[in-house]
Amino acid sequence: MNPPIADDGHAPGAYHFRLYLAGGAPNSVRALANLYAICRKYFPESYRIEIVDIWQDPARALADMILVTPTLVRTSPAPELQIIGNLSDEEEVLRALGLPQSENL
Amino acid sequence: MNHPSQSEPMEKIPTGIEGFDDLTGGGLPRGRTTLLMGGPGCGKTVLSLQILVHAALQNVPGIFVAFEENATRVAANAGTFGWDMPVPEDEKLWFVDARIRADVVKSGDFDLTGLLAGLEAKAATMGAKLIVFDAIDVLLSLLDDPAAEWRELYRLHEWLAQNELTGILTTKVDGDRPATAQRYGFMPFMADCAVLLTQRVTDRVAMRSIRILKYRGSAHVLNEVPFVIGPVGVEVGSANGIDPEPQPFDERVSTGIQRLDEMLGGGLYRGTNALLTGSSGGGKSTLAGAFVEAACRRNERALFVSFDENSRDIVRDLRMVNIDLSPHIASGLLQMEAVRSEAASSEGHCMHLKRLIGAQNPRCVVIDPLSALARVGGGLAARAVAERLIYLCRNAGITVLFTSLLEGSDPHLETTTLHVSTISDSWLQISYALLDGERNRALSIIKSRGSKHSNQLRELLFSDRGVTLADPYTAGGKVLLGTLRLEREKSQ
Repeated sequence: MNPPIADDGHAPGAYHFRLYLAGGAPNSVRALANLYAICRKYFPESYRIEIVDIWQDPARALADMILVTPTLVRTSPAPELQIIGNLSDEEEVLRALGLPQSENL
Repeated sequence: MNHPSQSEPMEKIPTGIEGFDDLTGGGLPRGRTTLLMGGPGCGKTVLSLQILVHAALQNVPGIFVAFEENATRVAANAGTFGWDMPVPEDEKLWFVDARIRADVVKSGDFDLTGLLAGLEAKAATMGAKLIVFDAIDVLLSLLDDPAAEWRELYRLHEWLAQNELTGILTTKVDGDRPATAQRYGFMPFMADCAVLLTQRVTDRVAMRSIRILKYRGSAHVLNEVPFVIGPVGVEVGSANGIDPEPQPFDERVSTGIQRLDEMLGGGLYRGTNALLTGSSGGGKSTLAGAFVEAACRRNERALFVSFDENSRDIVRDLRMVNIDLSPHIASGLLQMEAVRSEAASSEGHCMHLKRLIGAQNPRCVVIDPLSALARVGGGLAARAVAERLIYLCRNAGITVLFTSLLEGSDPHLETTTLHVSTISDSWLQISYALLDGERNRALSIIKSRGSKHSNQLRELLFSDRGVTLADPYTAGGKVLLGTLRLEREKSQ
């Protein structure tokens, strides 16, 4: 049931994300869809998404200090950054990632 | 159809804190949610930690989730109290660092499923029964939306019930506003048991108190009760729990002054208490010294608690009247404890004295003066403390002499600050008799329960040979003191 991992190879400047979600929960489903949409739109050639379903690996949530789901972690490029929520506020996500916000371009 | 749990008595988890278990009628509701509320520094974390550690030692494993503080530091804090700690390898106690990153970005809705799934797995592995969510308000503030906060708190509540976990949630409250008017004021409604911790400063001394706001399905004490955080953690003053039934003793205990014993019909009854009042410099401490010295001579352990006076000074002053306490101090029979009255609230002093009594296990105790308790933090609390001390000693069969400074000029207008004369078994008074240019100390027995006692005013004599009472001399219907008595003695 895990969605396929989109792979861009290991291009420099690639965006690596880890999404912690609770498989099947509405917010988690939405977050995953929103993340794919953002990735395809803004860096279609250079992203990689790792999914951690905390129902499959509950110990991981505590070990990684994940309190809420969904939680998105950008592991690359540095610095690591954390976004919580279903990512429906695209502007906020772009701002956090340091990307120019689309509508204003 | 009745819900089966309605007819069953509620199961409770004892907290190991005697006074707290008294308040709640046995501890926290098992498998339910308890909310601990209080301002910053009120003791929420310590109290929840103490309950968790106690449970772990009783083979009830628990998890501590720290939202605000570093979990390692919380665990280290637990070590600073004199608690036995469960062996880490036993996995009876587990700390989770759940601090929220300050730089976290929010985008859209989220919920606590991640944390709860993780905790659920951990709880199942270690068989946890108890879980503390410390500073749950910090986690909720992340949601920043009252509806979402309510929803997630409810999720947590349901999760606890489903996993048959007993939950303790702590949350900050703000100032003196009623708990339900707070930002998270809905929490007490959800919780099965809600406890409010407060801290007030009276006369520059901080006083902590605890109150059970609600306890669903169980009787509980409604009153606010004082508590302290001492070297052994939280100690809650018992609200009732006092057994006022004294153990009857026929045995008499010497006051250390033979003639005073005679006036009392043989001494004080063992396990009773005597109040000794008098103005400043009247010799209260001297009589107290005679009392403990006599106890030590009988090979009984004794405790002399002096407020605001150095033990060394007391020992030195007593030597002037031929009472030498030093060999008894050296042998450990006698413990002298000097306490600064302003160092703690009356409740704090009470806990301290309770610990001292527990450690020294004395048969005779002096508290000099008991009125020092009333110096800080209000008379009502101090009186309750004085009573508790008295009952504590009585139940332990300890004979107590406590002194109290008399204020005001008329000794018959009972002016002991604490109004303890009503609960004291005996009441002795040292007064000054001003007569014909002399100021003489006189001792009288105002009351002595259950024994015949002299009603005469007797002159109290201090000399390098010791403390005694002069023979009563009367002339023209008057008790003679001082020079008049000496003249009378010579003329006969």
